[in-house]
Amino acid sequence: MNDDDIARVLKAAGMRERAPADVARAVREHLRREWREIVAERRGSRRRWSGLAFAASILVAALGLWLAALQPGAPAGPVATMAIALDEVRVKSGWLQRWQPAVVGQILAAGESLETGTHGRAAIALPGIASARLDHDTRVRFTTADLLVIERGALYVDAGIELPGDSRLAVETPSGLVRHIGTQYEVRLDGSNIRLRVREGRVEWRSNSGAVERGQAGEQLMIAADGAVRREQASRYDASWDWIASTTPAIDIEGRPLAEFLSWAGRELGREVMFATPEVAEETATIVVHGSIDGLTPSQALVAVLATTSVRGSLEEGRIVVADGREKIDSN
Amino acid sequence: MKEEQLLIRRMLGGDEQAFEAFFNAYFARVYRFALPRLNGDTEATREVVQATLAKAMRRIGDFRGDSALFTWMCQICRREAVDHIRSRRRHLKHVVLIDDRPDLRSAIDALEAPEEYDLVKAYGREEVGRLVRVVLDRLPSNYGDALEWKYMEGSSVEEIGERLGIGTIAAQSLLARARTAFREALEQVFGAEAADIAAGLGA
Repeated sequence: MNDDDIARVLKAAGMRERAPADVARAVREHLRREWREIVAERRGSRRRWSGLAFAASILVAALGLWLAALQPGAPAGPVATMAIALDEVRVKSGWLQRWQPAVVGQILAAGESLETGTHGRAAIALPGIASARLDHDTRVRFTTADLLVIERGALYVDAGIELPGDSRLAVETPSGLVRHIGTQYEVRLDGSNIRLRVREGRVEWRSNSGAVERGQAGEQLMIAADGAVRREQASRYDASWDWIASTTPAIDIEGRPLAEFLSWAGRELGREVMFATPEVAEETATIVVHGSIDGLTPSQALVAVLATTSVRGSLEEGRIVVADGREKIDSN
Repeated sequence: MKEEQLLIRRMLGGDEQAFEAFFNAYFARVYRFALPRLNGDTEATREVVQATLAKAMRRIGDFRGDSALFTWMCQICRREAVDHIRSRRRHLKHVVLIDDRPDLRSAIDALEAPEEYDLVKAYGREEVGRLVRVVLDRLPSNYGDALEWKYMEGSSVEEIGERLGIGTIAAQSLLARARTAFREALEQVFGAEAADIAAGLGA
């Protein structure tokens, strides 16, 4: 990319909006007062606590040493949060490493494991990615905030839109490591074989012996136990992806542009959003959505939301086509 | 320690310049993040941005540095915006969309027309432009400002250095890093190079 390219892109995109000067001034003054209060509170708090700090530090150190001696493999810091737990979902945690039912909102720490039963499915939130979802009969272990170990079953990772500096989750399998490059993908263990399906973006597969393969959207890598990799075409939206719909984390659509909702629905359904005309595209950016889609699958949400607008959508080969609204989309 | 964490530490220590730097670095970006989510309502945006930045300052001790500080603020802002809208529209419990009844053209012609660039086809020119502006806001530090000053306002490197309170060589280096970060971000977000994006935008 040269200077001309940058200039062309920036000029075509236009200047970013500026806040009115009076708004900036009012917010600055309000925040300055708030900031001074915070600084004063912190100084007061620091003085109050300094006298207790020495005794407390001795107590904490002693407690830490005792815990370390008692449980050398105890979990470290929090790495994920339970977002959805359907039917049988268990967490192995605590000093005794017992399996216990998972609870939505539960913090999951390094060293803990998460498991779904025959009818269970789960979604977890991790820093830097949109979500990770577990199919039934799946077990994962949390190593750090950016490394999950899959021990059995299937895991779907939606990294969302990433930018430089965002953390990048890796998934460790028995025979290698999967690292995404801005993507949605599924890792499924089948005995000692692995199926790696890429729905969006790219993934990198690095085997334990150091061999590297990259998979593109619409491809699947079939990785045998001996390291042999077979590359195949894979649908990005057929019924084999349906399991992730039940564990789609709810999004807040209140006050958001319709275009943003459509973009979300497109990613969740593995389909490109296509507008019949540039005017339709522009219009969806101005339509504001109100309400909630909690409890709906992405395809149900698409029907519910578009039903109240003057635009319509239809699911066509790999696409959600958005046009005018005389006919409504059929739910899957 | 990251630059932004140093800034937070200085600000919480009572450093007035650090407060100014914090405000200058984040106010405009959070404002732009909030405005479209509040349907362009500037008064609502002012309230939400003010609440967001105040909450961010109060909770800054919770910021773990796993993501960029701005990303963390966007999460707060999103919640504040939703709360703001809910507090004014408690009666709305179901999906109800407000729209302008657009006068749309025939779908079929456009679907059959050959497309040179899928990105614009998929998102629309305005949306791609908006995403480019969002990318600028998500770049670290003052990169977005520096790029706009250089390539849109035609400022010299010396002038950019003066506006940022840094020397010419430092400004030159910052611009180089900004270009790299911008290029990488565009490729990650769009999966295309700037030349293709510019072509798609008709530039």
